[in-house]
Amino acid sequence: MCGVVGYIGGRNAQPVLLNCLARLEYRGYDSCGIALDGGSLRVCKDIGKIAELAKVVPQLDGLAGIGHTRWATHGAPSRINAHPHLDCSGTIAVVHNGIINNFQVLRRRLEAEGHSFISETDTEVIPHLIEKYYRGSLEEAVVAALGEIKGSYAVIVLAAGESKLVVARNGSPLIIGVGDREHFIASDVPAVLDYTNRVIYLEDGDLAVVTSGGVSVTSRGAGVERKETRILWSVEDAQKAGYEHFMLKEIHEQPKVIRDTLVNWVSVADSVVDIAAMRRNLESMLILACGTSYHAALIGKYVIEELLSIPVRVEIASEFNYYGQTLARTAAIAITQSGETADTLKTIRKLRAARCLVIAITNVVGSSASRLADHTIYTWAGPEISVAATKSFMVQLMVLYWLVMSYSRIDPGRLAELVMDLRGLPEKVQRVLGRGDVISEYASYLAQHEDVFFIGRGINFPVALEGALKLKEVSYIHAEGYAAGELKHGSFALLGSGTPVVAILARDNTYEAMLSNIKEAKARGAPVLAVAEEGDVAIRELADFIITVPVVDAIFSPVVNTVALQLLAYYTARERGCPVDTPRNLAKSVTVE
Amino acid sequence: MKQAVILAAGEGNRLRPFTASKPKAMLTIAGKPILEHVIEALAGSGVRSIVLVVGYRREQIFDYFGSGEQSGVEITYVKQERRLGTAHALLQAKGVVADEFLVLSGDKLISADTIAGFVAVEPEAVLVKRVDNPTRYGVVTIEDDLVREITEQPKVAESSLISTRIYALSREVLNVIDARLAISDALNAMIAQGRPLRAYETDGTWLDIVYPWDILSLNGLILRQINPEMGGVIEKGVSLRGLVSVGKNTVIRANSSIVGPVVIGDGCHIGPHVCILPATSIGDNVVLAPLTEVENSVIGSDVTIGAGSIIQDSVIDQGSVIAGHFTAAAGEAEVRINDEHHSLKVGAMLGEGCNIGSGVVAQPGVILGSHSRVKALRLISGRLPDRSLVF
Repeated sequence: MCGVVGYIGGRNAQPVLLNCLARLEYRGYDSCGIALDGGSLRVCKDIGKIAELAKVVPQLDGLAGIGHTRWATHGAPSRINAHPHLDCSGTIAVVHNGIINNFQVLRRRLEAEGHSFISETDTEVIPHLIEKYYRGSLEEAVVAALGEIKGSYAVIVLAAGESKLVVARNGSPLIIGVGDREHFIASDVPAVLDYTNRVIYLEDGDLAVVTSGGVSVTSRGAGVERKETRILWSVEDAQKAGYEHFMLKEIHEQPKVIRDTLVNWVSVADSVVDIAAMRRNLESMLILACGTSYHAALIGKYVIEELLSIPVRVEIASEFNYYGQTLARTAAIAITQSGETADTLKTIRKLRAARCLVIAITNVVGSSASRLADHTIYTWAGPEISVAATKSFMVQLMVLYWLVMSYSRIDPGRLAELVMDLRGLPEKVQRVLGRGDVISEYASYLAQHEDVFFIGRGINFPVALEGALKLKEVSYIHAEGYAAGELKHGSFALLGSGTPVVAILARDNTYEAMLSNIKEAKARGAPVLAVAEEGDVAIRELADFIITVPVVDAIFSPVVNTVALQLLAYYTARERGCPVDTPRNLAKSVTVE
Repeated sequence: MKQAVILAAGEGNRLRPFTASKPKAMLTIAGKPILEHVIEALAGSGVRSIVLVVGYRREQIFDYFGSGEQSGVEITYVKQERRLGTAHALLQAKGVVADEFLVLSGDKLISADTIAGFVAVEPEAVLVKRVDNPTRYGVVTIEDDLVREITEQPKVAESSLISTRIYALSREVLNVIDARLAISDALNAMIAQGRPLRAYETDGTWLDIVYPWDILSLNGLILRQINPEMGGVIEKGVSLRGLVSVGKNTVIRANSSIVGPVVIGDGCHIGPHVCILPATSIGDNVVLAPLTEVENSVIGSDVTIGAGSIIQDSVIDQGSVIAGHFTAAAGEAEVRINDEHHSLKVGAMLGEGCNIGSGVVAQPGVILGSHSRVKALRLISGRLPDRSLVF
């Protein structure tokens, strides 16, 4: 979703605009820009983050300005397509959130009339229309211009030397923050809360002329009064939507993001990337990632090998960069939530140099990974704010499943079964979320310990690794993930009554072996917390605590099991009073090698 | 800019199994939770600052509405940790309300015209409505537009006017109302102290859900008012008549017939040769396999229904997987809810996450609890609790 901001008043507008834009970051964006009126208009915009823009933007002085965060719809993310957009004379600047349905017709007409366009966006027709209708009154020109537009918009118009902003709303949100002889305009209230808690909500069809001294609103030509509202909540509260932490909110968003993946791909039987068509003689595959994405990659290996019988290598990007060899015919998948993980980017460059085909899986449109790879698959998990990755991991997993299932080599009967199970996953995950009370009770037990082992086998071995990683990063408890069979090769020496073992089970060919491993751990006095299927009777005799998860095909067991472990990590961290969303020493995206 | 406080902490005990994992306000009618209908009505009347008082299964509300941006409103959440009546729920919002505000129930279905005039009235006021069966509600007696008393569920109604439980209040009132009471009793006490409560009448939509089958009648009423959208892929030979709305990336396969009013959500796979008759709502990510007929029913998201099934006057909650040749035909039935007996024409009521084998027949009026499993070729009847195993 795009975001717009505007400022007019006595301060230098540039830092105000950059700060307001940063407050809209949670909406997600691929490029950003600002325009200031210092007698003439000056524009600075680019793809990338607001912090980067802030570094490169020259000191522009001006008491009025507008800004924008763009999430590409019409036209790719690029400097040219970023807002603000200008008219031919460079004296009118516009930022816009929304979609103009008839922009192609308008653009052709304006071009015929001699206006020259430089971007591919729908927005650019607005400044040119305003220019066309300008007869000395900016607001009248804006009314005439918007009268031509079919679609939705929240727009802010800045014209050189006018000492006012003209704003209008139709179908996209827009608010005006009221300060002391200054006004702030934004798509959403959090953008202005650093400056004021007095807000005017505009309604659809409203047009407002905003100066430093006042706001006058008209609706369909007639003056209307829009009352001020006092905002009593904080920015963070609003974005957390009722939850205590972003991590819990994002864990709870997983049924929705899974369903979105299904709606976008599975329902229309759209293949994510047709591997077969791209490389006929695909003999092996390579998956590269770091951190949580690496665990998604390991699960992907089991899924691909089982369903497609193609050998798969999974490598940690930072390791591969120093020794990994590969052949040109290999197809590689690089997974990075942020699309900016430095190690993974380096890997992509190395693979491309070796003439490998690279598919990037990332959550951020226009990120570096998407620009470097041959093909990009976007995971559409929405912005993830908590440092600990939860929903982005889940969507990576869903994309890997569908990448494999949309490949034509699978037996149709087996595929039909799998698709049915896949479609049932949102409800299954919802059911795990419903166990929050039980899990938080077990978490308060776990929170009393300093060392925890996670064990799993087969496709649930990476789940053990992920469970351990989540627990260490948010609760600061030392945790280790092990392939269950490996415990006896050394780590047994550490087991005792003070080292709980979290065992992750699935009803596949590893089940019996897992029961033996649990017995071995119990024999050393270790308390066992099992994550097991509903109706599993055998485990009740063995485990001290059981988190039950719904029955799914074993190939999807990582989905429900991981959600249970995410909740376990979250509640344990909360019990220990840790800063769940911002663990010490960690950053959301790791942009250094 | 007016503010509204919506009470959405209620559980809806008589609506089980549909309220086993969600609050009553999140029951889906015509493709949207009741609470979303309420919020849309408010936004449509220019009320965009919304306080939601949540309690039972509140995560479902957080996850659906978030900060309110999708609905074009700003939502502030307030928690009612223990359920101690409606006045207590309202008092939880004391710290965040403006000088004047509206109070509404999140589980009574309204439309914009219901409250269009009421949003502008001065406090203290109550919105009233004339109904046929007033004794189920708070009956309001008035004198010169001023309320004399609100009597909750009287044996004999002195008037056909009832309280819609929609109020316009001022913040000062929160200082005088007693947290131990229902809001109506607290307002009676306020009237007794000499503070007037004005009554405004509406003839707009105001619908309550008390029993599971009310979901069907409300769905039928609201479906008539939908604005149809066409977002999916409609294959050749599909017949669409009446008001039919199809969500994005839904595929309706060849030779299916849909007679509106019907709402189908996003990402569904319908057909080929499926027949959907009025008045049916279907959620997102639903599969209806070939030769299935669905009539006057509500089907939740993530449901799969196998080939050759017949579903009439039924509610199937989200995530249920039903194998082929399932029959839930409508018929006269005696249904017991708590200690009340009802006789009506109805199909089957299936809770969420059920797993039904092939060839199962559901007798009219069956209520199957959530997460139940039924083996192939069984006949189910009566009331079955959550997690039943029918083997």
